[in-house]
This record gives sequence, C-alpha cells and structure tokens, in this order.
Amino acid sequence: MPNRREFFRATAAAAAGSFVMRGGYAAFAQAAQGAAKRREISIGRKRIKVIDSHAHLGIPAVAEVVKGTPFAKNVNVAPNLVVGPDRVRAMDEWGIDIALLTQQGGWWYGVPDRDLARAIVKTQNEGTAAIVAKYPDRFIGMASMPLQFPDIAAEMLEDGVKRLGFKGGGISAGFAGEKELSGPEYDVFWAKAQELGVLLFMHPGGGNDIGAEKHFGGKGALGNTIGNPLETTMFLSHLIYEGTLDKFPGLKICGAHAGGYLPSYLGRTDAQCIRQADACTGKKRPVEDYFKTQIMVDSMIFREEGLRHLVAEVGAGQMVYGTDMPFGWPANPDFILNATFLNNAQKEQILGGNLVKLLKIAPAATN
Amino acid sequence: MQNRRDFFKAVAGAAAGAYAVGRGMPALAQRGGGGQRGGGAAAAPAGPVKRREVFIGRKRVKVIDLHAHCTVDGVSEVVKGTPFERQAGGRALDQDRVNLIDSEGIDIQVLTINGYWWWEVQDRDLAGRIVRAQNEGLAKWVAAHPDRFLALSSVSLQFPELAAEQLDYGVKQLGLRGATIGGHVNGESLSLPKFDPFWAKANELGVVVFMHPGGADNIVKPDAWKARGDIGNIIGNPLETTYFLTRLIFDGTFDKFPNLKVCGAHGGGYLPSYFQRTEVACDVRGNAMCANKKHPREYLKTNIMADTMVLTDEGLRHLVAEMGISQVVYGTDNPLNWPVPVDMIVNHSTLTDAQKEQILSGNLMKLLKIPAAATA
Repeated sequence: MPNRREFFRATAAAAAGSFVMRGGYAAFAQAAQGAAKRREISIGRKRIKVIDSHAHLGIPAVAEVVKGTPFAKNVNVAPNLVVGPDRVRAMDEWGIDIALLTQQGGWWYGVPDRDLARAIVKTQNEGTAAIVAKYPDRFIGMASMPLQFPDIAAEMLEDGVKRLGFKGGGISAGFAGEKELSGPEYDVFWAKAQELGVLLFMHPGGGNDIGAEKHFGGKGALGNTIGNPLETTMFLSHLIYEGTLDKFPGLKICGAHAGGYLPSYLGRTDAQCIRQADACTGKKRPVEDYFKTQIMVDSMIFREEGLRHLVAEVGAGQMVYGTDMPFGWPANPDFILNATFLNNAQKEQILGGNLVKLLKIAPAATN
Repeated sequence: MQNRRDFFKAVAGAAAGAYAVGRGMPALAQRGGGGQRGGGAAAAPAGPVKRREVFIGRKRVKVIDLHAHCTVDGVSEVVKGTPFERQAGGRALDQDRVNLIDSEGIDIQVLTINGYWWWEVQDRDLAGRIVRAQNEGLAKWVAAHPDRFLALSSVSLQFPELAAEQLDYGVKQLGLRGATIGGHVNGESLSLPKFDPFWAKANELGVVVFMHPGGADNIVKPDAWKARGDIGNIIGNPLETTYFLTRLIFDGTFDKFPNLKVCGAHGGGYLPSYFQRTEVACDVRGNAMCANKKHPREYLKTNIMADTMVLTDEGLRHLVAEMGISQVVYGTDNPLNWPVPVDMIVNHSTLTDAQKEQILSGNLMKLLKIPAAATA
C-alpha cells in the first residue's frame, strides 16, 4: 500500500517545513508569519464563525497499541500532526475559529485482526477527544473507523458520537482494499451514519483503489494531483450510481478537495445517463440532485474562478471551508472573502454557516 | 486494450446503426444504442436534408467540428490474414455523414480515425501500410468533398520516427492538417523522450495534435470500471486525457517543443475544469520534482486546447474562463450522439458574439490554415 506510506512521508516532509510555501507564485503568496494575534473574520460588520472542515491530526499513543505488530512502522506521527499550540497559532493567523479534526491515511484499514483494529481506532478517537477537551472552543472531533469491518466501523462511529461527543466521522475509499463501499456489506455502516444524522468527511488516499497508484510516481506528485481527486470521483460515482445514496437518503457526505473532479465536470455524467439510461439504472435521481442534497464539498479549489464554477454547480449551501492543515496548501479564507461573485450570505454559508447549521454549532454571536 | 477495442466497435456500430431515429435539437432526448459502450449513433435523416446554416444574430458564421470519428475503406485489405483483421472493419464514410453534418449545421468536419488498435502492431512494415491506407482513404474522401471535410493524419506512434515521417507526408503530400493520437502507446507515457521525434515534427510543422482517450486502460486495473454509470467512459476518458496532458506539462514536453498545439477531447478531460490542484502542485508538494519551466497555466493558455464537449452552458463558461477563448474549439464526437448541438454555443448565456465565432470556427481557421475564401 505505497500510498499510505507516501501520505505519511508527505506528512513528515511537511512537518520539516512550515506553513509558508516553498517558492510560490505571487498569486498564492500567503500572509507572512507574524505574531500570534488571532484574526477575527467579519463580513460587513458581522463577526462570523469560520469553520475548517478539512484538518488532519495524528495521535502518538497509537504507537503503543501497534508495538510489535507489522503495523508499527505505519505510525509516523509528524510533529505538525500533533495538535497543540502551533496548530492553534496557525488557525489564529488565518482566522479559523473551529477545525474539524479527522484522522486520515487509513493504514489501519489494512489490519486484519478485529480486536487490534478496534483498539487502534479507539486510541485514535480517545486521543482526538482529549484534544477537543483541551480546546473545546477550537476543535470538533470526527471519529476514525476501521472501514474493513463495516460492523465495527458502525460501532466506532456510534461510540465516537455518543461517548466522545464527535460530530461525525472521517472515511477514505482507497484503503478499503477490494471492497466496494457501495456494496451491501456496508449497509450496516451507512445505516448507522444515517441513524445518527452525522456528517461523514471523505478524504482520498491517492487513487490506489482502482490500481492507478503505480502510474503516479513521476513528476508533479501525481498521486496527490490526480490520484486524490480521482479516488473521490470514483467514490462519489459509486455511491450515486449503485444506489447507496437513494437507499440512505439521510446520509451527508463531504468530499475533500472540492469533491474531486466530479462537481467541476458534471456535464459528462449527466449526459451519459440521458444517452444511455440503461447505464444508470441503480440510481433514482438526476446526478446533480445528489449534490444539492446529500453530497457536500470543501472549498479546496484555491482560486476565484474554480470557486465560482463550483458554487454554480452545487450551490453555496453545499460548500464548506477546508484548508487541509497542516499541509501548506494556499487555502486561507481570503479567496472566499474577496470573491466578487459571492454575496455576503453566501460567503458566510461557505466559511462556516453551513456547518453551524448542520453540526448544530453555536453561531459566532454566542461565542 | 479492452476499451480501445470497445470504442472502435462502438464507432463502427454507430456508423452502421440507427440512422432512422428522429432527429432534432433535443439530442438530449435521444437514447443510446442499446447500452453498447460509447453509445448509439447520432441520427442522420434518411435521404437528402436541407443544409443548416448557422447564424449569430444576422451574421452567417462558419462551423468547424474538430472531434469526429470515422473509418475508411481500404484498411481491411491491408490487415487481411493478420491478427488485426477484425479491427479494421466498420462502415466507412458515406453520404449519411454528409447528411449528418448538413443537418447539424457543420460546414467543415475534421475527420479522425481513432481507437489506435494499430499501435499494437509490432511489424513496422505492416504498421506503415495500415496508416498509409488510413491516410490515403481520408485524403480521398476529403478530395471528393473539398469544401466540407478535412482530416488529421493517423500515425504509427509505436515507431516514433515512422510516425514523424507519416505526419510529414500526410501534411505535405496528402493535405492532412495535423495528427490524431491516443493518450498512451501500449501503456507508455507520451512524455517519454523516445516520442520526441513525433513531437519535434508536429512542433516543426505547426500543426494541431488531437488527442482522444480510450478509457484510461493504461492507468487502471482491469476491473476498475465494472460498475454502473458507464464510468469507463465518463471517468475513464477524462482521466486518460488528464493524465496525458498533465505529464506533458510536468515532464517538460511543452518546454522542449514550445510550438505544440495539443487539443484534448471532451473539454481536455478534467484538467482545465479542475486546474487549481495542478496549478499549485509544484509549489505545495515537497515531492513534486516538476520539470516544467513555466507556470502550469502558461501551457493551458498556449499549448493546450480543448473541444467544447463539457456539455453544459456553465461548463463551457468555466472552460473559457480557465483556458482563454483562443484555446477552445467546437467538437461534436460525431457520429456518437452526445448532446453537443451548435446551439449550445450560439445561444450561450455569457459568451460574446465574437467569442462564439472564435469557438465555432475562428480558432480553427487559423490552426488548420484554412483561407477565409475557402469557406465562403
């Protein structure tokens, strides 16, 4: 599973650097690192709550759980993935009030032992809960789950939500091996997410689910540049076309990196279902309808024109702000705040309003 | 190469197929051809049709289609008795194609033979003869309909030097206007130095290279598309194009051959519509090792072109916004029945009349070196 390792290598590399990008084209130059004064974002005169849906973390205590197992080498928690004062400072600089913390990388999806898988995830989730307890106003926890065992995944999602106070869970597609998340064996998991009424944040792992990862070793970090949006595109397409989203109409899933390619290239999807209706018998609604109701996307599209297209395709009500911290993407909130085509209400929706509503978070005024 | 074969069959089947279905602008309302991958045929009316003339406002504008599939007579004889015998069939161009472009308001259609099954031919002599038959067949059809059709050269890209010769001969001797290629040669990326002779020739001649994908069978495991939604087409095709163009950028091919004009089918795949991640990759990713000398967007605005097959008004607005108006050209995917009527451009909600004309023909007049008088 090279991509799992690559993900952690990238993490380690990022840890060695800082939040300032290497090199960098002028258009993406970010605000210089300065004093740790907390930026407070207002739109017009209204202070809004900025919520980052897409933030990573690691829990060092997992190392003890997997000590002496073949998975010991997978635990490589880089310093910048350990959420503490540095992360809070980075959020302060960009004006992020709250971040949803998700465990990504998914190496534990490869653990064949049920008890070990459960123990890893339990440790991760309890570690996440401890961070949230330490900074209750700044972070929201999202459960990690062993998706190779749909029943335990359901159990751990429920445990995270009911015992640890999480608002949802983080999932990946590529790490589930040969299994298809749209297959019936996963109904128990989707049913639990629907029952709990929580958000699932889907983050890809480089496209290894369709065997593409071996072609992504060349220049341009293709496992990330192409593999990630590809995996998300495949994942969402399967959930749509295989009827999973119809079977569980209460599901709310947020696709990382602007939902991959799919929302930015919707025309071909729709057209094919009209040309070849028999290719699309598993779903009940037009493709765009799922993006208006059940699928949300983060704002990791970096530029105004990309954002404009995304808003036109899915609507501001389905978009959430995302940064991918701590990985140094040019995703500070200014490209949303400065977007000429958005009105103030839409900016607030994207930057935090949609998640305030969905996750039942107190709005800024009551902070 | 399952997808390439399927694609070829679909084109051949479409050519032979359902031309009796009622025609009409709501191409959207038509149904595909019984679920075969690639879809059914566009429905050309039986018998003579009135040629549609396209106007923007009161101005008659020419319409040139860069994305059109076909097969020609003469190839079957060349591969008879070889393992490739079954691939060369299909109904060749005939009057129905003229009727189709008449009914759709296309003044000039630029024909290409796609599927690239002949790239698997390892006998250099046979490879040369197949392409020769294809290109002579195309030239013959164009000569018989000089005002209505142009064609791009097939090439034997598994033999890059031969491909360069074929392109040179095709352009200089047969009057072809460029080359058509797939996204990989038997799994190999076209950014590899071994393919430089081909790129050097296209660069030297200043002709367009039209790239059409075949389901990304170079990238994915064999069963990756076994799912609903015809995702081998709707994801596989844009994926192959995206990977192809991305490697030409990051591996430095466009820097080596700065005069190249490479047009990616189906709106250039995902690349232009989701360009931002590509745009920042070299800055953000510590392991990116980018060889490109310029900002990725520079290539998008100069070397890379895309057809209009993003299929929606908003998709086309976005494509033009990302690439610039000079990089977008009309394409229909004839004879496959995608909903790409000329009306999508003529009635576009945000493009100016001048921009519409550029897309419909202006850009291609220059690129294909068509004298203005020739389209009068």
